[in-house]
Formats: sequence, structure tokens, C-alpha cells
Amino acid sequence: MTQDRPIRVLIAKPGLDGHSRGAWVVTMGLRDHGMEVIYTGLRQTAEAIVQAAVQEDVDVVGLSCMSATYDYYFPKVVQLLRETGVDDVLVIGGGVIPPEDAAVLKEKGVDAVFGPGTLVKDIAAYIQANLKRPGKAVA
Amino acid sequence: MWDKDRLDKLAGKKQEWEKTTLADSLKRFKKDKPSTRFYTPLDIKEFDFLDKVGFPGQYPYTAGTYADLPPGSGPVRGGGGSLAVGGLVRAGQYAGYGTAEDTRDFYKQMIVRGWRVGPNLAFDLPSQFAFDSDHPLARGEVGKVGVAVSSFADYETIFEPFQGDRNLDRIATNMTINGPANAFIAMYVALAQKRGIGLDKLRGTPQNDILKEYTGRGAYLFPPKQSLRLTRDSIVFIAKNMPNMNILNISSHMRGAGATAAQCTGYMMANGIEYLRAGVNAGLDIDEFASQITFNGMGGSMDVLREIAIHRASRRIWARILRERFGSKSPKSWLLRCTQGCLVGHEDMQAQRPLNNLVRATIGGFAAAMTGQVPSAWPPYDEPLRLGRSLESQQLAEDAARILYHESKLCQVRDPFAGSYFMESLTDEVEAEVWEWVDRIEGMGGAAAATESGYLQREVARSAYEHHKKIETGEEVVVGVNTFTGDQELEVLTTRLVADPYDPERRAIAEENQIAKLKRLRAERDNAAVKASLKNLDQALRDESQNTFPAFIQCAQAYATIGEVGDVMREVLGEYKEYAII
Repeated sequence: MTQDRPIRVLIAKPGLDGHSRGAWVVTMGLRDHGMEVIYTGLRQTAEAIVQAAVQEDVDVVGLSCMSATYDYYFPKVVQLLRETGVDDVLVIGGGVIPPEDAAVLKEKGVDAVFGPGTLVKDIAAYIQANLKRPGKAVA
Repeated sequence: MWDKDRLDKLAGKKQEWEKTTLADSLKRFKKDKPSTRFYTPLDIKEFDFLDKVGFPGQYPYTAGTYADLPPGSGPVRGGGGSLAVGGLVRAGQYAGYGTAEDTRDFYKQMIVRGWRVGPNLAFDLPSQFAFDSDHPLARGEVGKVGVAVSSFADYETIFEPFQGDRNLDRIATNMTINGPANAFIAMYVALAQKRGIGLDKLRGTPQNDILKEYTGRGAYLFPPKQSLRLTRDSIVFIAKNMPNMNILNISSHMRGAGATAAQCTGYMMANGIEYLRAGVNAGLDIDEFASQITFNGMGGSMDVLREIAIHRASRRIWARILRERFGSKSPKSWLLRCTQGCLVGHEDMQAQRPLNNLVRATIGGFAAAMTGQVPSAWPPYDEPLRLGRSLESQQLAEDAARILYHESKLCQVRDPFAGSYFMESLTDEVEAEVWEWVDRIEGMGGAAAATESGYLQREVARSAYEHHKKIETGEEVVVGVNTFTGDQELEVLTTRLVADPYDPERRAIAEENQIAKLKRLRAERDNAAVKASLKNLDQALRDESQNTFPAFIQCAQAYATIGEVGDVMREVLGEYKEYAII
């Protein structure tokens, strides 16, 4: 694995949900694992998230949602990334997401879903093991 | 309490105990240092009972807001029981589903199940942001976390079951709405007027606590100072016209966002000061409105002894703010009224082995009983599993509260910890921590200014991460989450056998139905009247000296949509953009 630069992550809050604790903790936690993490802040559209992901050339997009709108936004981000020609970015999500809904999200192209109680070290390990562009970044 | 001689003697005895009995114990248990502490009169040296505690229902209220136990706000349905709502008029459990029709039908079901209380409305996010259901940002959100209210027509539908002996003059209604609160309170006023009910007969509580949105929950619309203008208008209008209605409910959402107990309580007190100042600056006498300001639950951790202390300290702090900082003369204004009988928070509920949450919530109810509240074992155990709690989990939560109250007889003593060397010492300690936050925030120009600068938000994010690091390292143990998770543990699954009160098929078409209804409304109403009402609102908003409330009522009566009203507010007040705080 070549060490071009640290792993770059975009943590985003799609939609109107304003519960940002999970996004804050994951942002700061992944930074402590040596990653470069950009946090979008609240109320992002899927379009804005994809645009930021492309501009920032991130390896991972992390979506956080507590309002049960993940079923709309998470697949939409995956779809827009693909339409933009980006197929090597890992898309992960978190929130209050029941397992049956998480399964649907995975079918629609979300790589992993992390529920309440997840430790950041487990998210970091997942990212390191599953990067889709391993030649480019390393933790 | 203890004179110097006796304290000196006690200090000597304590040293002796440490060197002998305690040291022996540590040696036997193979410990370097004790994992416990023992408190003595040395910890509360100058303790003055009347100054620090007093009698329940008397200044400084440490021993209780009321002299005797108030009727509970916890269990509200089912048969008899002294825990039922008793003599007070209360609102029911927080709920709102899909469209107004869906929520109306939910309330009809609940009334059949024995509810004797008014609604406690949960609004969907588009309504909380004053967006119409067909706004691009509303996509996927309509009717999800609460009911979609696009106009006064939806209020008329929601309140259909509340007629006759459940009419608006017989019930209390809570509205969990903040950013555009005035527009929704105005709809309630318009409904009362349409039904011929005097505003002085209305009871209930709008949440209407905008400052905590910036630091706790993220549903803010306008910059803090512009928001306070709207709060001022609600304070003045409600104080003058609705003496039985609460104005706002100071909330502890910062806890859920990660604030520590003292930090959150400090923010709540500072937010309260800001609201009191808004009323006074608008020309009201402090005692004309302060008693209409209430508090939401202040709890939020499993560290329950500390939570009990925070609760006792809070009552004392609020009373002192009113009496000493605002010169209030009426003891009624000094009361910290907070009905939520639990001291653990939603954030303490875990998705792993979720039945353990019933234990956690019951511990929270026990702690609430220790602060003089009617216990409630809240939230229900399936809180972290998905939106919408099962009826079974709610039944168990109510039963737990009943068991705490009736079987364990916890509520027969007011402030059972009063005079405890430990609890009085800890109450003083946390009180000092809370005042530190209050004074720091006041020193920055008040809660609105400290919010405007992003300082308060940044500090919450910092606390959230500091706490999380302790969970990552195992310094803080969360059973079944970061510890006791090995292969030898049993997975304990729960099932839902009673049908959800909200039919999933109705849920699936709620957004579509709401948008169709909104389009019909726009076509059928008197659009000239709508335009006139919006113009009037625009003018009222632009003139600081005016109270905007009558204009909001006019908008409701004309069936202006919440999105139209929101657009006028956004245009005049501007939108708040959060700082990059992390």
C-alpha cells in the first residue's frame, strides 16, 4: 500500500434531522485515528454531499441520520455518486436504523451501517479493511 | 451545625479510621486505594438547614417544589390508580403520526384505551422548520417524526376527537414546537376562537425554547437574537391573554447532544435568564409572567446520585435567579416546575439487549422519586430501536412506575436525602459548577450572544467526545455495549405482538396524501385573504415595536400554509447558518 496521504472522510448530515452528536463523535474519533475528516454540518441535500465528496476527493462518505429519512437519502447519495462516475468511494451510514432497514440500504449500495453504541475504533477498522482505493490512502 | 471543637474531634476520629480500619480493609481486599467515599459532617461544615434546604414548597425549594407530592405526569391511561392524573389538567404522551387524519385517528384509539388527557403534539421536521410538505427539503420527512401540519386546517382535523368534555377548555395541550412556535400557538388560539372558547380557559405548554435548538437539537431557523424577538412576542401575548397557559418549557436537549449534567443545567438556567430578560425588557413585571415558564426533564445520565443532587440544586438556583437577580416578589414565580419523573435520558437507552433499558429507566424513576417527583420509568425500553415505541414497551414503562410508587412506597417521604452529609455536600458542589456555567455565559453577554458566537455549541461537542472517549476505552462501562459483550453472553431478543397503533400502510402513503391535501387547500381557500394576512405579518415583523402574535393568528384564520408563513419570517429575520464548530 503506497502512502500518498491519510484516508480522507466526509461526514455528512442529510435532511432536516439536527441530532449531530453521532456525527461529531465519529468526526473527532476518526481524526484521532489519523484520518482527515471533513464535517458538512446540518441540513445537506444529497447533491451537496456528493459535490463535497468529489471536491474534497474523499475515500469515504459517512452519512448520519436519526429521522428515518435514511431510506431516501442514503440510496440517493449512492446513486448520485455513481451517476457522477465515482465508484471507488466507500459509503457508510449511521443512526437509529433497525436491522431490516439496514439490509435494504445495503442492497441499495450502502457499504455498511453502524447503529447506536458503535465504537469509533470499529468504524476505523472497517474503513481500513474495506477502502475501495487502497493505493491512494492509508491511515 | 457542628461547632469547631466537635469538628476537630471528628477530623481526628476520621484520620484514625483511615489509618486503621480503612487501611486494614484495603489490605484485605488487595486495593491500593478505596473505590468508595464516606461522608461526615466535615463535608458540610457550615451547613445551615434553612438556608440550604428549607421545607418542601418553601424557599429555596431544595426539598421540593411543592409541600406535598403533586399528582403525576407519568402514567396517563388504564384503570384507576392514584398515579392517574388526579386533580391536575395534564397533556398526554408525546405523539404525532403522518397526516392530521392519521394523528386524529391515533388519538381516537387512545381515548378508547382510556386516555383522559389532551394531546402532546409531535410535529414532523418540515413543520418544525416551517416548510410546506411539498418543499424540496421536506422530501422523505413528511409525517415521519411527528404529524405534518401544513395549515390551520390540519389543526382542525387533529383536534376533532377533543370536543365536549374533552374540549379545549377541559384539556391541556402540549406542542413540541420551537422555531416557528408562534405560528402553531396562533393556530391553537384560532381554534379556540372558532369554537367560542375564551383564551383565558386554555391550558397547556408549547415547548417554545428556541435557544436549546442551537446547542441541543438543531431545529433552529433564524439567528438567536431574531428568534428571541419571536419569543418576546409569545411571552407578552400569552402573559396578557392566556393566564393558564404556559409560555415555554426550558429543555435539556443539550444532554442528549453530549453536555455534562452541570453544563446542561447551566445552559438551561442561562437560557431561562435570557427569556426572563426578554419579558422584562418588553415592559412586563417579572411576576406577570415568570410563573408561566416551565422546565422539561433535567435528567440524562445513569449517574443517579449526581442527578438527584443536580435536581435539588436546580430548584435552588432557579429560585435564587428569580428572587435575587430579577427581584421577583411572588413565590409562585420562584418555582422550578418540571413534571418529568425520570432522571435518565433517551441517550442512556441502548440498542444492545434492549430489555436492559427497562432496568435503566426504572432506576431513573427511582431517582426521580428521591427528588420528590412522581416516578416514571421513561423512556420505554425500545426507544433506541426505531422511531415509534411499541404499546408493550409503554405498558411496561407504566407498570414500572406503578410498581415504584405503589409497591415500593418510594413517594411517602419528601426529599429523603435532606440533611445527608453526602447529598448536601454533592448538591453544593454541583450547584457551584452550574453557577460557573451561568456566570460564564452571562459574562459573554447572555445565552443568545454565547450561542451566536458558536461557543456553547463547540463546548457541547467537546463534552460529547470526551464522554465517548471514556466509552471507547472502557473507563465508562455500558453493559452489553462496550463490556460484557463476549460470546458467553446470551442475546435477548424482544418481539412486538401488539399491532403498532399506526398502520404501516397509512404511513407509506402519508407524504403523498399530505401533499395532495395541501394542493387542494391552496386552490380552494380565499387567496386574497391569505395574501393580506402574510403582508400584515411581514409588516409586523419589520416593526420591532409591534407584537407579531395577532398577525400569526390572522395567518392561521386565513389558512396560510406554514411554508408561506415561514417564508415571510425567513425573508425578514434571516436564516441562521451554523458555524464550523468541529
